[in-house]
Amino acid sequence: MSDLIQASARDLSGPLIELTDVKTHFKTARGLVRAVDGVSFTLERGKSLGIVGESGSGKTVLSRSIMGLLPPKAAVRHGSIKFEGREILGLSRSQMRGIWGSEMAMIFQDPMTSLNPVMKIGRQIAEPLRIHLNMARSDAWATAERLLTDVRIPEAARRLNQYPHELSGGMRQRVMIAIALACGPTVLFADEPTTALDVTVQAQILDLLGEQRRDRNMSLILVTHDLGVVAGHTDEIAVMYGGKLVEKAPTRSLFANMKMPYTEALLQSIPKLTDPSHTRLSVINGRPPDLVNPPVGCRFAARCLYTQQRCREEEPPLVVTPEDPEHSYACWYPVGSPAYFEAKARIPSNSTVEVL
Amino acid sequence: MSIDLEEPTATASEAPTTLVVTKKPFKMPRLGWIFGTIWLVTLSFCALFAGQLPFIREYSAKVKVNGRAKSYGWGPGWNAWFGTDKSSFDVFARCIYGARVTLLVGVGATALGLFLGGILGILGGYYRGRIDRVTSIFVDCLLALPPLLLALLLIYRLDDLEIQIWFWKVTRPWEITITLGILAIAPLARIVRAQTISLREREFVLAARSLGAKNGRIIFREVLPNVVPTMLTVAFTGLGILIAAEGALAFLGLGVESPQTWGKMINAGRDDLAKAWWATLFPCLFLLLSVVSFNLIGDQMARRFDIREAAI
Repeated sequence: MSDLIQASARDLSGPLIELTDVKTHFKTARGLVRAVDGVSFTLERGKSLGIVGESGSGKTVLSRSIMGLLPPKAAVRHGSIKFEGREILGLSRSQMRGIWGSEMAMIFQDPMTSLNPVMKIGRQIAEPLRIHLNMARSDAWATAERLLTDVRIPEAARRLNQYPHELSGGMRQRVMIAIALACGPTVLFADEPTTALDVTVQAQILDLLGEQRRDRNMSLILVTHDLGVVAGHTDEIAVMYGGKLVEKAPTRSLFANMKMPYTEALLQSIPKLTDPSHTRLSVINGRPPDLVNPPVGCRFAARCLYTQQRCREEEPPLVVTPEDPEHSYACWYPVGSPAYFEAKARIPSNSTVEVL
Repeated sequence: MSIDLEEPTATASEAPTTLVVTKKPFKMPRLGWIFGTIWLVTLSFCALFAGQLPFIREYSAKVKVNGRAKSYGWGPGWNAWFGTDKSSFDVFARCIYGARVTLLVGVGATALGLFLGGILGILGGYYRGRIDRVTSIFVDCLLALPPLLLALLLIYRLDDLEIQIWFWKVTRPWEITITLGILAIAPLARIVRAQTISLREREFVLAARSLGAKNGRIIFREVLPNVVPTMLTVAFTGLGILIAAEGALAFLGLGVESPQTWGKMINAGRDDLAKAWWATLFPCLFLLLSVVSFNLIGDQMARRFDIREAAI
């Protein structure tokens, strides 16, 4: 029944997901925490978007806001989230259930805790198939086996009868991906899918995600704190800071021509192989802003190396670059502008080390 | 502190080290729960097949001295292992038959407590909010009432009511089972609620929800299987307490009428303790060993499933 309604309301021409001024605030004892504070973007069908930001920048809350997986009582939500042209922000849990799993799926950070320890792998994969697609038990198991093969798990038939503790971390994340892919979602949210894994496995999992995305013509939202992770695996990158979008651009354009000093700082904080050993890692000083009382003006001003008076007084709007209409940023004195070079000339080159 | 730690390693790396045999501290194997299991299995087996086993006298057979039934005729010995009681019945046989009622009442009450307490705990812990408040108040009320008083009141009330459902008449053993079951609700509901609260925040529950699983499915497939070990552990520990409680009720004269129970035997024999200690001591010993066995098994399960003692 719900499938019919969805099919009729489906708008296949427009963007898959459209966010307009989405705000998610939490009521706490300290006051209202503005975890996501006015984010707008669109995601096209079949594209992948990386959401990058440090801890507490609101990236996880944003992805869960789109999914509607937040505790309903504590969260205050504003704005509009359109999925295939349909507003999904105000939907109740039972209404969202028709979308969860079959349209939107999510994989979580820690594969150690996101699988039920007392249920066999096969059953955990087969369960959504049986609920959403009304498959018979034997069909569901056959599909589960094929899914495990798809995510490159050897001896898939044997794995179906194993429990999560019998698998390694990377293997478990593959199982999570298989479960998420089971009902063929249109968009997959990957919330730091590789943080709990070691580097070689990380690369394999990211390749697997990209491969499955292309094969299934699925959209992917990859949430991570690591610019390096998204660099090779997404079409677009959105950088978040203090609950706001500060820069968004196609991946190539972002790395070639980044505008926001925060993005630049993030990139510089990745250690480079070409650096001589014992090079001081450049860090971003200070801490993320207090989201209960966010600062006036630019939220990054307190930590930015190129801060000017205007940054502390006025909040920069999201503007489009002249070179690329898909590249937008929120900064008064973006990287590459004359004021930026002026500010850069004033600070000593090793300032990041000294402030420590 | 860190310097202290570094020094020995520095010297160790310089000098050629001699082989140091570290002695493992001797650890007592935990025999308690094995003993408990053996005791309970043997007791249940004897109680179940008491009529068929040759070394157990019949329930109503009197052990006579020179052809005459004599009050406390035999002490513990070959004729009657545990001696004979006031009406010259065999104490050993009665101890075994008494286990039937005691174990049945204990297990029945625990099952009832598990069922009702489990429902209350899971509903309260999973849904929180108003449901949680109502169930918690109910459980707190149960805890606030003195258990013995509640048991006495309930049994007297059930006696008066004489409930009969279909052809199942609520007799004394059932009354005791129901009463003890109600007493067992509170601790079980509390621990199940606590476990459920911690489980519902776990990522695999969120993952199931993100795949569109309904509440009922999450409760039965995700939460319940993870709560079962805790429930069983608490149930085993509680079983010992319930058996002792049954003994206490029987001691107070609220026991089962027809077959003998340990509590009734203790009650009957205690006046003549100086004359015939065996008629009281052996049922006491059976009660003690059974309670200890259930506790030891419960403890072993708690270690096995890593359940915090404080939570129980």
